[in-house]
Amino acid sequence: MKARESSLLPLEDAREAALFFVVGALCFLAALAALSAKSTYGAARAWTAEVEGEFTVSLSGADATAADAAARLLSQVEGVREARAFSDAEINALLEPNFGQSGLPADLPVPRLIAVTGEADADDLGPRLSKTLHEAGYQAAVDAHAEWAGDVRRMLSVSRLVALSIVALLSATAIAVIAFATHAALLARRDIVDVLHIAGARDRFIAGLFERRFWLLGLRAGTVGALVALASVAVLIAAGRSGAERTGLLPQLSLDFWDLAVLVVTPVIAGLAARIAASITVMRSLKSVM
Amino acid sequence: MTQLRPDMFEEAAVRLDGVSLRYDSSEEILSGIDLVLKPGSFSFLTGASGAGKSSLLKLLYLAQPPSRGEVSLFGRPTSRLPRDQLSALRRRVGVVFQEFRLLGHLTAYENVALPLRVMGRKESQYRRDVEELLAWVGLGERLNKRPETLSGGEQQRVAIARAVVTQPNLLIADEPTGNVDPDMAARLMRLFFELNKRLGTIVVIATHDLGLIRQIDAPVYRLADGLLVQESGEKIPAARRRTDPLKAMP
Repeated sequence: MKARESSLLPLEDAREAALFFVVGALCFLAALAALSAKSTYGAARAWTAEVEGEFTVSLSGADATAADAAARLLSQVEGVREARAFSDAEINALLEPNFGQSGLPADLPVPRLIAVTGEADADDLGPRLSKTLHEAGYQAAVDAHAEWAGDVRRMLSVSRLVALSIVALLSATAIAVIAFATHAALLARRDIVDVLHIAGARDRFIAGLFERRFWLLGLRAGTVGALVALASVAVLIAAGRSGAERTGLLPQLSLDFWDLAVLVVTPVIAGLAARIAASITVMRSLKSVM
Repeated sequence: MTQLRPDMFEEAAVRLDGVSLRYDSSEEILSGIDLVLKPGSFSFLTGASGAGKSSLLKLLYLAQPPSRGEVSLFGRPTSRLPRDQLSALRRRVGVVFQEFRLLGHLTAYENVALPLRVMGRKESQYRRDVEELLAWVGLGERLNKRPETLSGGEQQRVAIARAVVTQPNLLIADEPTGNVDPDMAARLMRLFFELNKRLGTIVVIATHDLGLIRQIDAPVYRLADGLLVQESGEKIPAARRRTDPLKAMP
């Protein structure tokens, strides 16, 4: 004869559907921003690690034979892993964007280039390369990639900070929206709160009802947002791989364990934020009555 | 039914000392009210609309603190009690609201069981009691109906069942027979008297029904101009005699 017990709060209404959408959208944006921040940081670290040990030596007034000799000399310097003179074809390929495919005029003095890769722990390698070449009579200039890579790294660090700020802002916005919505829900259900209060329900009992409701709402909305973010990243990865030959300057996108951890943690944070916001709002509201 | 204990009569009292009430900066609705409801007493509260009956009842069921004075329930001054202890006191009070205040998303059964759920009771412990109580007020076949599908009288009976299901020490009813026929009104009054006689429950009924008041031998408190006076017009003394309303039952 007796039906099963219902929740003391009514089923979700239109307001909670709207809140679900807002929280889901905020979680999607926050997850995407977090993944972007992490991807930017990872790309910057990998890229700068790659170029920091790189040097380009340009020899003026030297032919290919002299360049090969200089490369052999440099490969003997302590801390050098590899030194290789660029071939004519490689130099032409580098100059092709400016001079076209017809090649360089034969009488144009073009410096010969040597690519030097140093050991990661080699100190003062640039000055030592320069000194070695000058002592051997070469007219050379040594370009350390690390100097301009540092500028790029600083810019990427700023980008990362901006992305983290966006994550923090979106998270704070989500919490504020949840707190506001909880307060609105409480006002809409004032009658229920009053009846429970007068029936002798403790503040924690009443707050617990709203905490459970909003914890589940935040968790579910956050899961949807994180899944949509995962789908978006998957689409970007697929698009990046299909045009890999022409997207070499873009950071390589991929999903690793920590990316997936971000996606798993997002709904949990959303649920916890909703639960804490609900608890604070309800307890504060109840404190205003006897 | 719970057995009477001597300590119930020691502590189960309601006392208002110099209680005044005003909302925000408005004029006082209640002024310097002194009232003692002795253990096992049965009383009526009457007065014109707007006289402050509902406000006085709110003070009694601890929904509103007084602006001045002290409200004591069951021997405990409430003004400095921690919130959890106020909640514990409220669980000893049953309230029948004039507008019923049933929760629309719950069935009649669930509305009546609500105070028991608040007290942490398991359904297996209270199911039979709730079903019997609802049957007793004539709603045995309507346990699973939502309030919106019940008539005004049926809703009122659900509200009364909810108020008495915990066998409270203090029962406050605001116009409890306003929407029911005379037979059901007599039946409900018999329920209140049973609680009063068997458990020593203090019963306070706010009503405009002068016929009901005249039929029953119980003290009548009238609110007028913010003051609580006896029907004779005297200010209520600090202590009242204990009455036996059942003697006057029709």
